[in-house]
Amino acid sequence: MSASRILAVARRIAQGFRRDERTLGLVFVVPIVITLLLGWVIRDSEAGDVRIAVVAAEGSPIADALRTAAEDADLAFEVTVDDVADEAEARDRVRDGEAEVAIIVAGLRGGPITVVTEGTDPSGDAARIGALQALMVRAVTTLLPPELGIAVPEFEHETVFLSADADSLDVLAPVFLGYFAYFFVFILTGISFLRERVGGTLERLLATPVTRGEIVLGYGLGFGFFATLQVLVLIGFTLIALEVPAIGPIPAFTIGLGVSSIGSPALLFLLAVLLALGAVNLGIFLSTFARTELQVIQFIPVVIVPQGLLGGIFWPIDRLPDILQPVAQVLPVTYAVDGLREVMLRGADLSSPSVQLDLAVLAGIALFFVALASRTIKREVA
Amino acid sequence: MHPSGSGAAVEAVDLHKVFGPIHAVDGIDLALRPGRIYGLLGPNGSGKTTLIRLLAGLARPTAGEARVLGTRMPSRPMLARIGYMPQAEALYPELSVAENLGFFARLEGTVSRAAMDRALELVELGERRATPAMHLSGGMRRRLSLACTLVHEPPVLFLDEPTVGVDPALRVQFWSHFRRLAGAGTTILVASHVMDEADRCDELVFVRSGKVIAQGTSAELRSGAGTTDLEAAFLHYAGLDAEGRPLETAP
Ligand SMILES: Nc1ncnc2c1ncn2[C@@H]1O[C@H](COP(=O)(O)OP(=O)(O)OP(=O)(O)O)[C@@H](O)[C@H]1O
Ligand SMILES: [Mg+2]
Repeated sequence: MSASRILAVARRIAQGFRRDERTLGLVFVVPIVITLLLGWVIRDSEAGDVRIAVVAAEGSPIADALRTAAEDADLAFEVTVDDVADEAEARDRVRDGEAEVAIIVAGLRGGPITVVTEGTDPSGDAARIGALQALMVRAVTTLLPPELGIAVPEFEHETVFLSADADSLDVLAPVFLGYFAYFFVFILTGISFLRERVGGTLERLLATPVTRGEIVLGYGLGFGFFATLQVLVLIGFTLIALEVPAIGPIPAFTIGLGVSSIGSPALLFLLAVLLALGAVNLGIFLSTFARTELQVIQFIPVVIVPQGLLGGIFWPIDRLPDILQPVAQVLPVTYAVDGLREVMLRGADLSSPSVQLDLAVLAGIALFFVALASRTIKREVA
Repeated sequence: MHPSGSGAAVEAVDLHKVFGPIHAVDGIDLALRPGRIYGLLGPNGSGKTTLIRLLAGLARPTAGEARVLGTRMPSRPMLARIGYMPQAEALYPELSVAENLGFFARLEGTVSRAAMDRALELVELGERRATPAMHLSGGMRRRLSLACTLVHEPPVLFLDEPTVGVDPALRVQFWSHFRRLAGAGTTILVASHVMDEADRCDELVFVRSGKVIAQGTSAELRSGAGTTDLEAAFLHYAGLDAEGRPLETAP
């Protein structure tokens, strides 16, 4: 094993990168733009007004109480309450987009209440129904005779980690660090190594005294270097929130997402880099099974997308169906996501057994793929 | 100087290489002496590239033995003492001339700037060091590939059609450089289709269908075939008539 040959391989990867502005853009600009877009979409999406069409029997106090509660409540969205003549009209309004919610009150007092929504926006519906439920609680409270002295209690929501008004960006941001590094590094190494195989340079390398292990480690170092820079840029971008004051016609804006992390950035960095090193060697390994660059791209739905779905990014692992859980347990992204969240959201440090496990598994997977990748380089002599 | 008793720098002993139904190298015996230039001639598909890859340790023989400087191939440490120029050049298109050369030099264990400069001067690419390989002309890429092969100044050179696409003036310079290297003790095996280059070799090896059909100096081979033309001599040893068709009565 010769350090100078490993460095030579890493150096030639860096030299190739330097002339390839497009790839540099892919590695450094695209993740920022996507993260920025994500932050924008999640944070600044308009909740939209909610128009409620109420059908209630003559004299039912529900509609009035609801209207009063809606006017008083301070909600993220504007609520307007309209009385309509009958159930059919209420349903028509929802169907035609003139109301978001229809409420059909069956009896004069008590009895079931039917809530009708349009149905193609489940997450929006869930938020509206949640708010509606809170409104209903207040409305009912106003209907109770005051002399009874009962009020239906409302919830005060507090959290152990983060704040109660943390949004999904705070939870998704840590994950983006890892997932981007994984995705880009995999594609870049896969294609780069494929070129070596089909372009004859791999055979030419094997006519020099370089060993297969040196080639694989050199690749890890070369692409690992860029993955490292990428992760640094992403961590920086996610954590900072640089206020830029308004200059002339340009309004004030913020650079960075300002996601609050209570853990150590160094540990975040270590987790992301270990994940990326695994991706380098997975790329080398899978390039054996590709003949063209298009075929490397075809590995994305096989390798990258399932990890996105099962790795705990959107749905926690322990809520996955039973048969998918063991699958999730062997995916490197799972451990990176867990580690990144532990550190960033719960402030875990190296003494946390869960972070230790994540680091150990990621390092193990990286080593496993180093061994596997060097096996795929066919040579008559080691 | 060489551990093998025979004094040969490169040896093949009953060498075979089989690809499925194809016998690419079919029982070749060779002994190349140090400090000489050998020309390897034969039609397309006759096994020249395969033979060179076996000798250079890039492929393992199906049977028989290849030895370089007394060491049985394939052998990784021996690769530092071999220069191999592939038939299709293997360069990194996005790397510059100097970066390509520097990369191969480092892998071979040479970091001397002087050696790199010498190699670039020889192939007349000194002015183009910063040019990415993909912007070089075809012949220039060939020249860069040769420079990468020579940069570590190995004692044994295997060159697979090194002058394809290289202009005549530079080709003459290449050959005078090969001659200088041979004078300093380098053993050189050159596969070629160019007959006037063959005349510059010390010895020629004619191969056909994976077998050596004749070996000797250019003069010996021509007089043995009763002709002054090397091409005609090849056809004679291959048992073909002047149009390249098989003779009724083999010699
Ligand atoms: N890797 C391989 N797999 C299968 N067959 C091969 C392989 N390499 C070479 N061959 C076959 O071996 C035979 C000899 O090929 P080789 O490349 O050695 O010829 P050559 O003399 O170098 O020809 P040319 O003058 O065209 O370069 C050919 O029939 C070729 O098809
Ligand atoms: Mg050939």
